[in-house]
Amino acid sequence: MTKTHNHPSGVANPWLQLWLSVVCVLIYELLQKRGATETANLSENWSWTGITALASPLVWLAMVLMIISLLSWLYVLRYIPLSIAFPLSRLVDVLIPLSCWLILGEHISPRRWLGISLVVIGLAIVAKPVARLEEKL
Amino acid sequence: MTWLAFILILVALVAFVAGQLFLKHAMESSTATGLRDRKVIFFLCWGVLSMTIHFFVTLGLLAHLDLSYVYPFQGLSVIIISLAAAIVLREKLTAQLTIGALLISAGIVLVSLS
Repeated sequence: MTKTHNHPSGVANPWLQLWLSVVCVLIYELLQKRGATETANLSENWSWTGITALASPLVWLAMVLMIISLLSWLYVLRYIPLSIAFPLSRLVDVLIPLSCWLILGEHISPRRWLGISLVVIGLAIVAKPVARLEEKL
Repeated sequence: MTWLAFILILVALVAFVAGQLFLKHAMESSTATGLRDRKVIFFLCWGVLSMTIHFFVTLGLLAHLDLSYVYPFQGLSVIIISLAAAIVLREKLTAQLTIGALLISAGIVLVSLS
Protein backbone atom coordinates (compact mmCIF):
# COMPACT_ATOMS: atom_id res chain seq x y z
CA MET A 1 0.00 0.00 0.00
CA THR A 2 1.29 3.46 -0.90
CA LYS A 3 2.23 5.56 2.11
CA THR A 4 -0.30 8.39 2.25
CA HIS A 5 1.73 10.52 4.66
CA ASN A 6 4.80 10.66 2.46
CA HIS A 7 3.57 13.24 -0.01
CA PRO A 8 4.32 16.86 -0.95
CA SER A 9 2.14 19.68 0.39
CA GLY A 10 0.66 22.79 -1.23
CA VAL A 11 -0.25 22.58 -4.94
CA ALA A 12 1.66 19.31 -5.15
CA ASN A 13 -0.63 17.73 -2.53
CA PRO A 14 -2.13 14.65 -4.24
CA TRP A 15 -5.50 15.15 -2.47
CA LEU A 16 -5.72 18.67 -3.94
CA GLN A 17 -4.83 17.21 -7.35
CA LEU A 18 -7.65 14.69 -6.89
CA TRP A 19 -10.07 17.63 -6.47
CA LEU A 20 -8.64 19.35 -9.57
CA SER A 21 -9.07 16.14 -11.57
CA VAL A 22 -12.70 15.77 -10.43
CA VAL A 23 -13.60 19.36 -11.40
CA CYS A 24 -11.97 18.97 -14.86
CA VAL A 25 -13.86 15.72 -15.48
CA LEU A 26 -17.16 17.37 -14.49
CA ILE A 27 -16.67 20.27 -16.92
CA TYR A 28 -15.43 18.14 -19.84
CA GLU A 29 -18.33 15.70 -19.53
CA LEU A 30 -20.81 18.58 -19.79
CA LEU A 31 -18.92 20.02 -22.80
CA GLN A 32 -18.85 16.58 -24.46
CA LYS A 33 -22.61 16.27 -24.10
CA ARG A 34 -23.21 19.71 -25.65
CA GLY A 35 -20.71 19.08 -28.47
CA ALA A 36 -21.92 15.58 -29.27
CA THR A 37 -25.59 16.61 -29.38
CA GLU A 38 -24.83 19.61 -31.63
CA THR A 39 -23.08 17.41 -34.18
CA ALA A 40 -25.23 14.25 -33.99
CA ASN A 41 -27.14 15.15 -37.18
CA LEU A 42 -24.02 15.64 -39.38
CA SER A 43 -23.90 12.00 -40.46
CA GLU A 44 -26.28 9.33 -39.22
CA ASN A 45 -23.84 6.51 -40.10
CA TRP A 46 -20.75 7.98 -38.49
CA SER A 47 -22.18 9.67 -35.40
CA TRP A 48 -22.04 6.40 -33.42
CA THR A 49 -18.25 6.35 -33.72
CA GLY A 50 -17.94 9.79 -32.11
CA ILE A 51 -15.87 11.13 -35.05
CA THR A 52 -18.52 13.69 -36.06
CA ALA A 53 -18.30 15.30 -32.60
CA LEU A 54 -14.85 16.64 -33.58
CA ALA A 55 -16.69 19.30 -35.63
CA SER A 56 -17.64 21.03 -32.38
CA PRO A 57 -15.10 23.38 -30.71
CA LEU A 58 -16.64 22.44 -27.36
CA VAL A 59 -15.36 18.89 -27.87
CA TRP A 60 -11.82 20.19 -28.47
CA LEU A 61 -12.04 22.27 -25.26
CA ALA A 62 -13.27 19.11 -23.53
CA MET A 63 -10.14 17.32 -24.77
CA VAL A 64 -7.86 20.00 -23.26
CA LEU A 65 -9.62 19.61 -19.90
CA MET A 66 -9.39 15.86 -20.30
CA ILE A 67 -5.60 16.09 -20.71
CA ILE A 68 -5.33 18.29 -17.57
CA SER A 69 -7.49 15.86 -15.60
CA LEU A 70 -5.43 12.92 -16.90
CA LEU A 71 -2.15 14.55 -15.81
CA SER A 72 -3.43 15.41 -12.33
CA TRP A 73 -4.91 11.90 -12.10
CA LEU A 74 -1.54 10.34 -12.99
CA TYR A 75 0.00 12.43 -10.23
CA VAL A 76 -2.67 11.20 -7.79
CA LEU A 77 -1.92 7.58 -8.76
CA ARG A 78 1.70 8.03 -7.80
CA TYR A 79 0.76 8.59 -4.17
CA ILE A 80 -2.72 7.19 -3.47
CA PRO A 81 -3.81 3.51 -3.89
CA LEU A 82 -6.22 2.99 -6.80
CA SER A 83 -8.79 1.32 -4.50
CA ILE A 84 -9.01 4.60 -2.52
CA ALA A 85 -8.42 7.22 -5.22
CA PHE A 86 -10.82 5.75 -7.80
CA PRO A 87 -13.92 5.45 -5.57
CA LEU A 88 -13.28 9.02 -4.31
CA SER A 89 -12.96 10.29 -7.90
CA ARG A 90 -16.58 9.14 -8.43
CA LEU A 91 -17.64 12.32 -6.64
CA VAL A 92 -18.17 13.39 -10.27
CA ASP A 93 -21.07 10.95 -10.44
CA VAL A 94 -22.83 13.06 -7.83
CA LEU A 95 -21.77 16.37 -9.40
CA ILE A 96 -22.75 15.39 -12.97
CA PRO A 97 -26.45 14.61 -12.34
CA LEU A 98 -26.68 17.72 -10.14
CA SER A 99 -25.15 19.85 -12.93
CA CYS A 100 -27.40 18.23 -15.56
CA TRP A 101 -30.32 19.23 -13.36
CA LEU A 102 -29.08 22.79 -12.70
CA ILE A 103 -27.47 23.67 -16.07
CA LEU A 104 -28.91 21.38 -18.77
CA GLY A 105 -32.37 21.28 -17.17
CA GLU A 106 -32.54 17.47 -17.14
CA HIS A 107 -35.07 15.91 -14.77
CA ILE A 108 -33.98 13.98 -11.65
CA SER A 109 -36.47 11.30 -10.53
CA PRO A 110 -36.88 10.21 -6.87
CA ARG A 111 -35.04 6.95 -7.70
CA ARG A 112 -32.15 8.93 -9.11
CA TRP A 113 -32.03 11.09 -5.96
CA LEU A 114 -31.82 7.84 -3.93
CA GLY A 115 -28.91 6.68 -6.10
CA ILE A 116 -27.13 9.99 -5.60
CA SER A 117 -27.60 9.65 -1.81
CA LEU A 118 -26.09 6.12 -1.88
CA VAL A 119 -23.03 7.44 -3.70
CA VAL A 120 -22.62 10.22 -1.12
CA ILE A 121 -22.80 7.68 1.76
CA GLY A 122 -20.29 5.40 -0.03
CA LEU A 123 -17.92 8.34 -0.57
CA ALA A 124 -18.13 9.23 3.14
CA ILE A 125 -17.32 5.62 4.12
CA VAL A 126 -14.27 5.52 1.83
CA ALA A 127 -13.10 9.00 2.83
CA LYS A 128 -13.41 8.55 6.61
CA PRO A 129 -10.33 6.39 7.29
CA VAL A 130 -8.36 8.60 4.90
CA ALA A 131 -9.35 11.77 6.78
CA ARG A 132 -8.37 10.14 10.10
CA LEU A 133 -5.04 9.08 8.64
CA GLU A 134 -4.34 12.61 7.39
CA GLU A 135 -5.32 14.21 10.73
CA LYS A 136 -2.76 12.19 12.68
CA LEU A 137 0.11 13.58 10.64
CA MET B 1 -31.49 0.13 -25.64
CA THR B 2 -30.24 -1.37 -28.88
CA TRP B 3 -27.62 -4.14 -29.03
CA LEU B 4 -25.15 -1.75 -30.60
CA ALA B 5 -25.48 0.63 -27.65
CA PHE B 6 -25.12 -2.26 -25.18
CA ILE B 7 -21.93 -3.55 -26.86
CA LEU B 8 -20.44 -0.06 -27.07
CA ILE B 9 -21.16 0.54 -23.37
CA LEU B 10 -19.40 -2.75 -22.57
CA VAL B 11 -16.38 -1.83 -24.73
CA ALA B 12 -16.17 1.56 -23.02
CA LEU B 13 -16.31 -0.09 -19.57
CA VAL B 14 -13.61 -2.70 -20.29
CA ALA B 15 -11.32 -0.11 -21.89
CA PHE B 16 -11.79 2.17 -18.88
CA VAL B 17 -10.99 -0.49 -16.23
CA ALA B 18 -7.95 -1.77 -18.16
CA GLY B 19 -6.75 1.81 -18.70
CA GLN B 20 -6.90 2.66 -14.98
CA LEU B 21 -4.95 -0.49 -14.06
CA PHE B 22 -2.26 0.22 -16.69
CA LEU B 23 -1.89 3.85 -15.53
CA LYS B 24 -1.73 2.97 -11.83
CA HIS B 25 0.84 0.26 -12.50
CA ALA B 26 2.95 2.64 -14.60
CA MET B 27 2.86 5.44 -11.99
CA GLU B 28 3.55 3.04 -9.14
CA SER B 29 6.63 1.73 -10.97
CA SER B 30 7.75 5.29 -11.78
CA THR B 31 8.32 6.10 -8.09
CA ALA B 32 11.23 3.64 -8.12
CA THR B 33 12.56 3.96 -11.67
CA GLY B 34 11.52 7.44 -12.85
CA LEU B 35 9.22 8.30 -15.76
CA ARG B 36 11.69 7.48 -18.56
CA ASP B 37 11.94 3.82 -17.67
CA ARG B 38 10.96 1.55 -20.60
CA LYS B 39 8.48 -0.44 -18.54
CA VAL B 40 6.79 2.76 -17.26
CA ILE B 41 6.46 4.14 -20.81
CA PHE B 42 5.15 0.79 -22.07
CA PHE B 43 2.33 0.70 -19.47
CA LEU B 44 1.59 4.43 -19.88
CA CYS B 45 1.11 3.89 -23.64
CA TRP B 46 -1.30 1.00 -23.06
CA GLY B 47 -3.15 3.10 -20.48
CA VAL B 48 -3.47 6.07 -22.82
CA LEU B 49 -4.57 3.79 -25.71
CA SER B 50 -7.29 2.21 -23.54
CA MET B 51 -8.49 5.62 -22.34
CA THR B 52 -8.56 6.92 -25.95
CA ILE B 53 -10.79 4.02 -27.03
CA HIS B 54 -12.98 4.75 -24.02
CA PHE B 55 -13.13 8.46 -24.96
CA PHE B 56 -14.31 7.97 -28.56
CA VAL B 57 -16.79 5.20 -27.79
CA THR B 58 -18.28 7.42 -25.05
CA LEU B 59 -18.56 10.35 -27.49
CA GLY B 60 -20.43 8.11 -29.93
CA LEU B 61 -22.87 7.03 -27.23
CA LEU B 62 -23.42 10.60 -26.01
CA ALA B 63 -24.42 11.69 -29.50
CA HIS B 64 -27.57 9.59 -29.13
CA LEU B 65 -28.29 9.23 -25.41
CA ASP B 66 -28.51 11.57 -22.38
CA LEU B 67 -25.30 12.18 -20.42
CA SER B 68 -27.07 11.41 -17.15
CA TYR B 69 -28.07 8.07 -18.71
CA VAL B 70 -24.88 6.90 -20.48
CA TYR B 71 -22.27 7.95 -17.99
CA PRO B 72 -23.53 6.21 -14.83
CA PHE B 73 -22.94 2.77 -16.44
CA GLN B 74 -19.41 3.39 -15.37
CA GLY B 75 -20.70 3.00 -11.84
CA LEU B 76 -19.94 -0.69 -12.20
CA SER B 77 -16.32 0.28 -12.83
CA VAL B 78 -15.95 1.41 -9.18
CA ILE B 79 -16.34 -2.03 -7.62
CA ILE B 80 -14.62 -3.74 -10.60
CA ILE B 81 -11.59 -1.44 -10.29
CA SER B 82 -11.40 -1.86 -6.49
CA LEU B 83 -11.42 -5.66 -6.83
CA ALA B 84 -8.99 -5.59 -9.76
CA ALA B 85 -6.62 -3.31 -7.80
CA ALA B 86 -6.66 -5.85 -4.95
CA ILE B 87 -6.17 -8.88 -7.22
CA VAL B 88 -3.90 -7.55 -9.99
CA LEU B 89 -2.03 -4.76 -8.16
CA ARG B 90 -2.15 -6.44 -4.70
CA GLU B 91 -3.58 -3.39 -2.94
CA LYS B 92 -4.96 -3.87 0.56
CA LEU B 93 -8.75 -3.87 0.29
CA THR B 94 -10.37 -3.37 3.71
CA ALA B 95 -14.01 -4.24 4.49
CA GLN B 96 -14.72 -0.52 4.84
CA LEU B 97 -13.31 0.26 1.36
CA THR B 98 -15.27 -2.63 -0.18
CA ILE B 99 -18.57 -1.51 1.41
CA GLY B 100 -17.92 2.08 0.32
CA ALA B 101 -17.12 1.02 -3.25
CA LEU B 102 -20.23 -1.23 -3.38
CA LEU B 103 -22.48 1.63 -2.20
CA ILE B 104 -20.98 4.01 -4.75
CA SER B 105 -21.45 1.43 -7.53
CA ALA B 106 -25.02 0.64 -6.44
CA GLY B 107 -25.83 4.34 -6.23
CA ILE B 108 -24.52 5.08 -9.73
CA VAL B 109 -26.30 2.04 -11.23
CA LEU B 110 -29.54 3.17 -9.54
CA VAL B 111 -29.09 6.61 -11.08
CA SER B 112 -28.56 5.00 -14.51
CA LEU B 113 -31.80 2.98 -14.27
CA SER B 114 -34.04 6.01 -13.86
